[in-house]
Amino acid sequence: LSRARLGVDLAATFNLVGTLVKYLSLAPLAPAAVAIGYGESPAPFLLATAIGFFGAWTIERLSYGKKHVGMREGFLVVSLTWLLAAAIGALPYWLTADAQFRNPIDCYFEAMSGFTTTGASIVTDVEGLPHGLAIWRQLTQWLGGMGIIVLALAVLPRLRVGGRQLLESELPGPEIEEMTLRIRDTAQRLWVLYIALTALMVAVLSVLAWTGLDSAMTFYDAVAHALTTMPTGGFSTRARSLEEFGPASQWAIAFFMTVAGANFALMYRAFFRRHPRVFVRDEEFRLYLSLLALGSAVLVVELWTEGVLRGEAAIRHSVVNAVSTMTTTGYASTDFNDWPLFAAIVLVALMFVGGSAGSTTGSIKVVRHLLLGRILGRELDQTVHPEAVARIHLNARAVDERILRAVASFVLLYVGVFALGAFLLALDAARVDSELRLLDAVAASATTLGNIGPAFGFAGPMGSFEPFSDVSKVVMIVLMWVGRLEIIPVAVLFTRNYWRT
Amino acid sequence: MKIVVIGAGQVGSTVVEALHDEHHMTVIDLDESRLTALAERFDVRVLAGNGASKRTLEEAGVRKAGLLIACTSRDEINIIASMFSKRISPQTKAVVRTTDEEYLEIWHERELDVDLVVSSERETALAVSRLIGVPAARQTDVFADGQVQIVEFDIDSGDRLRERAGKPLTEAALQAARQGERQHVIGLPLRQAQIPPNSKVASIIRGDTIVVPRGDEAIESGDRIIIIGSPEAAQAWSRIIAPTEGRVEDVVIYGAGHTGLATARVLLEQGIRVRIVEANRQQADKAAEELPGARVFHASGMDAEFIERERINKAQAAVFAMRDDAKNHYAATLVKLHGVPFTIAIVHDAHSVEVFERAGIDVALNPRLITAEEIVRFAHDPRTQQVAMLEGDRFEILDITVRPESKLLGRPFRDLPQTGALIGAIVREGRAVFPHGDDMLLPGDRVIVFTESKRVPIVEQAL
Repeated sequence: LSRARLGVDLAATFNLVGTLVKYLSLAPLAPAAVAIGYGESPAPFLLATAIGFFGAWTIERLSYGKKHVGMREGFLVVSLTWLLAAAIGALPYWLTADAQFRNPIDCYFEAMSGFTTTGASIVTDVEGLPHGLAIWRQLTQWLGGMGIIVLALAVLPRLRVGGRQLLESELPGPEIEEMTLRIRDTAQRLWVLYIALTALMVAVLSVLAWTGLDSAMTFYDAVAHALTTMPTGGFSTRARSLEEFGPASQWAIAFFMTVAGANFALMYRAFFRRHPRVFVRDEEFRLYLSLLALGSAVLVVELWTEGVLRGEAAIRHSVVNAVSTMTTTGYASTDFNDWPLFAAIVLVALMFVGGSAGSTTGSIKVVRHLLLGRILGRELDQTVHPEAVARIHLNARAVDERILRAVASFVLLYVGVFALGAFLLALDAARVDSELRLLDAVAASATTLGNIGPAFGFAGPMGSFEPFSDVSKVVMIVLMWVGRLEIIPVAVLFTRNYWRT
Repeated sequence: MKIVVIGAGQVGSTVVEALHDEHHMTVIDLDESRLTALAERFDVRVLAGNGASKRTLEEAGVRKAGLLIACTSRDEINIIASMFSKRISPQTKAVVRTTDEEYLEIWHERELDVDLVVSSERETALAVSRLIGVPAARQTDVFADGQVQIVEFDIDSGDRLRERAGKPLTEAALQAARQGERQHVIGLPLRQAQIPPNSKVASIIRGDTIVVPRGDEAIESGDRIIIIGSPEAAQAWSRIIAPTEGRVEDVVIYGAGHTGLATARVLLEQGIRVRIVEANRQQADKAAEELPGARVFHASGMDAEFIERERINKAQAAVFAMRDDAKNHYAATLVKLHGVPFTIAIVHDAHSVEVFERAGIDVALNPRLITAEEIVRFAHDPRTQQVAMLEGDRFEILDITVRPESKLLGRPFRDLPQTGALIGAIVREGRAVFPHGDDMLLPGDRVIVFTESKRVPIVEQAL
């Protein structure tokens, strides 16, 4: 494609990406402080910041001058920023002389899994990691949860990007309600609420630790798990995820996962504007809770009748793992690899549900299921009643037909990408003669595309993604990246008309 | 009282007709020929000019008027006129007619500084819902927050009964229907008839004559009667008069214009299933968008195939609210032929009301007459809370607070003089009481009085 016919302003794109990544590369300074506090070497983090800052600054300088980024460039900015963010995230792993991070693809996988809040890990011995590196893993999830560009929009005064495209590409879920606020105000509100909820969770878990209600919980664990619960990430500092924690902590974490899967804009209105009834009236929220309850109930019945678990333990493990899977967090309170196949299939089904729009969750999301159900219902109705005219309503307001088309195409794309991913993983497993079963390949594709975390088999909740081949890891890196940005911003880059004038 | 009316159209002239006897009226309109016609019929002052002009309003004497009625067909003119009136003379009450329900909402939110906003669409919708709530009624008015209803019924002969039931009734079924409660009421002298409790027969209209309902008179088939009573009593009357009709739960509305949508909204609020048929695509889309609870069809609804396929004929009532009277007439006739038992047409030309009812449409409603009625209610004696007109303006129903010096206080009802007026209900401390012979009026009572229009001044004086 010749330069003259190129319809995308690359200089402006790189300039903005450079700026964003430059500021993001300051993030490793936080784990550097933690490393110093635990008497570890802060060198890998300081070096990562230096390399990232200098590299991004170079990109910014080289493309200096043009500032305007339009809607079209927005897709490329978001896609590239997330690729480079994962590169910054990978640097501390690569620069630490830890045996688990010899392979650069592993480092990049771990960083992408972090920023996209997936929680799939190639680490085989989590508790063997230095504290600085362990906190860096948690922090990448916390930064990626509400969105790194949303954060930049909230705090950088000079960032005046064109259009709402950037924000909308990064915020999960279809934008059904017009955002009436200024972009900056929206971004700030989301982050304020996010920080407040994270702080609250640290406090709750700390209280459990200090009052002795949970002897396994420490302040360090409280911070580490708050950092990966609110973004529905799922990285843990414990080898066996939540298993070692007491029931009180598990219930508390289940509660906060449920909160993280709710719509943040709705929560803002409920808490800060004092309209708690918005929850009761919101159709998506009601369906979200119903599905969580349904998924948990099915698991309780299955586990109880199969004699796997009984009593409070059956209820707790069902709820924690159903909530963790549906909200795309990916913690496990027990090794559900050992559960009956029926329960495993229920968990895979929950992987396709997701949380609410405007939450930190991945996957398809409840509102899309709701709207798709209504679209299908309307199609069937119009087959019988050709003259019927119906608009689809959500919360008693008619939804624009363009949004409905976008929802239908998204679900189709999502299922298509998932199937392609599962196919490639199964194919690669056959090539390298891995012990991956078909259900494991399906779960691995669903878990990475949906930004959930654990799969089944060796990549189960207590296992690791390390045994996958490099090719499979690259496939899953792409799935995580595409899944976090909800496919479309990346997919448009592969259309010819995107690049043309 | 001096009253200034802006607009000499159907609403304006109906208002003038009802009020000109008791008040000094000035009518403003741009159209001189309309004014001339009005001045020939009634003794009113007319003024050619723009009602939204401050000078015209001053010339019409708004400063000394007690009431300004802005009832042209254009909302903006009405609102501007009332705004100027309030500026010139804040003590002059202002009534605004509107065709847009939004102005009504704004007024309820107290953002519009006028004393009454009347929406033709809303009033029409309420009238339709009152009719559907009491299936056999021709017209219903509610008083005292719905505790008292005044209902007008046609006593059908057997043939009419058969027709309204929708499906052919066998002779036996018809007999049974007639036999039920009906035989204890219809055709018997009133003192022997088993009239539902908490209700009174206010008037019997037989052809062109009015029968005063004394104890020895009887209700006959073909009569039209007016009942005052509690809502339960109104339902009971409805069952007696039309035993084959149950509660209406399924209504079809033709036309999704302002009136159609307003009607659909009111019916949906009552839990009635509503289907809307609209021939215009955009209007149909708008209806589907605004009314999540309604089912909307984009169709003319004029072909038998559609009516059969979508089971339009299974509806218990159909409302015709299209813009064109002729279309409403045709569609109503067609739907009735297919078996919908109860049809209500919204008729835009007041003269057509009779044509529709003669042609077999059960009820024809004219939005302008309904609007005028609402305005007249407000214009009456300030003590009067609500006024309804029946049979054109032959009868009025007054809601009056009894003066402490009234001579009627403290006397049992059976000893009160017969003045041709009937006290149908007493509202005492906010609750409706249906009086018997032993009851008596107490100071502070509000009464619902039914009387002929020409007797209104006498009744108001006595109370």
